[in-house]
Amino acid sequence: MSEVPDTEATEGEDDDRLRSLVRGAMKEEGEPPDVLAGFQKKVRERSGGKFYADGWSTSRNPPEFTYLVTGILMLIALGVIASMLSLVLRPERVENKAAPVNVVAPAPK
Amino acid sequence: MPLPPLGGPVYRGGDLLPGWDLLDHDEKSEQRFIERLASHDERAFNELVQAYEQRVFRLVLRMVGRRDEAEDMAQEVFVQVFKAIGTFRGESKLGTWIYRIAINLCKNRIKYLSRRHSSDEDELEPLAERTALDERKSGAVGETSRPDQAVEGYQIEKIVQECMAGIDPDFREVLVLRDVEDLSYDELCEVTGLPDGTVKSRLHRARAMLKAAVEQRLGEKIR
Repeated sequence: MSEVPDTEATEGEDDDRLRSLVRGAMKEEGEPPDVLAGFQKKVRERSGGKFYADGWSTSRNPPEFTYLVTGILMLIALGVIASMLSLVLRPERVENKAAPVNVVAPAPK
Repeated sequence: MPLPPLGGPVYRGGDLLPGWDLLDHDEKSEQRFIERLASHDERAFNELVQAYEQRVFRLVLRMVGRRDEAEDMAQEVFVQVFKAIGTFRGESKLGTWIYRIAINLCKNRIKYLSRRHSSDEDELEPLAERTALDERKSGAVGETSRPDQAVEGYQIEKIVQECMAGIDPDFREVLVLRDVEDLSYDELCEVTGLPDGTVKSRLHRARAMLKAAVEQRLGEKIR
């Protein structure tokens, strides 16, 4: 087509006016939606739960520090409980006494 | 969250995400990122979606014109990326590839919706057209000064939106990508997969179609 402009620089005033009209009409209104959550839900459903099946993977910003602190606190709590149980449930002392042994001499032939 | 620029890399949490352009990016980082995506690393996909969700949503919204439809379509774009990432050969930029998926999905959806609702639209479209024109003619515009100018501006926007919706998706695509999304001709060719000359002629025809449609609805020339 001969009337087709060859370069971007040849776009005229008419095009500029039209472009500003189009931009005005196409300007977005309102907040963009949370696409990530919907995407994760669709992938989870279509993969039969293979992907995005837990809170760690579906979180927008996984609270890594919280998880780390929680893990350490749990380990400390387990250690305290184990040491308390070892005090309370102390095993009964068993004295090692030699059992009486009767050595029977073999019968003479 | 800042949008990924068209012409450069995006940094997030120490990782380099690809921009939309062919220029000015770290290929090694992009390659690493694509490998993570190809192995369906969920966190890599989270990063990808967060980086591109706004751009993709806005593009889709401008193509389909309905917010509820656009939200679902934007999610679908990333689901398609998730499914097809194994076939991505790196011949174009990842961002361009995502744009292409979005555009193709939109075109298919528009064609499907137009086939499905063609009978409904035949009845509704003249009504919408009549209402818009009646509103203009009813004297609401011009009786008082500033508020009515705003009303007129709003009506013109509505008319442009309706005229855009009436344009064939192949033409709407180049119009949105060039005049709204501000893509360069090179990027347009990448996204549409069309040669340079075809893109320019299609854009020229799209503008002419839109201009004619808007002028017909307004009853005056666009100045």
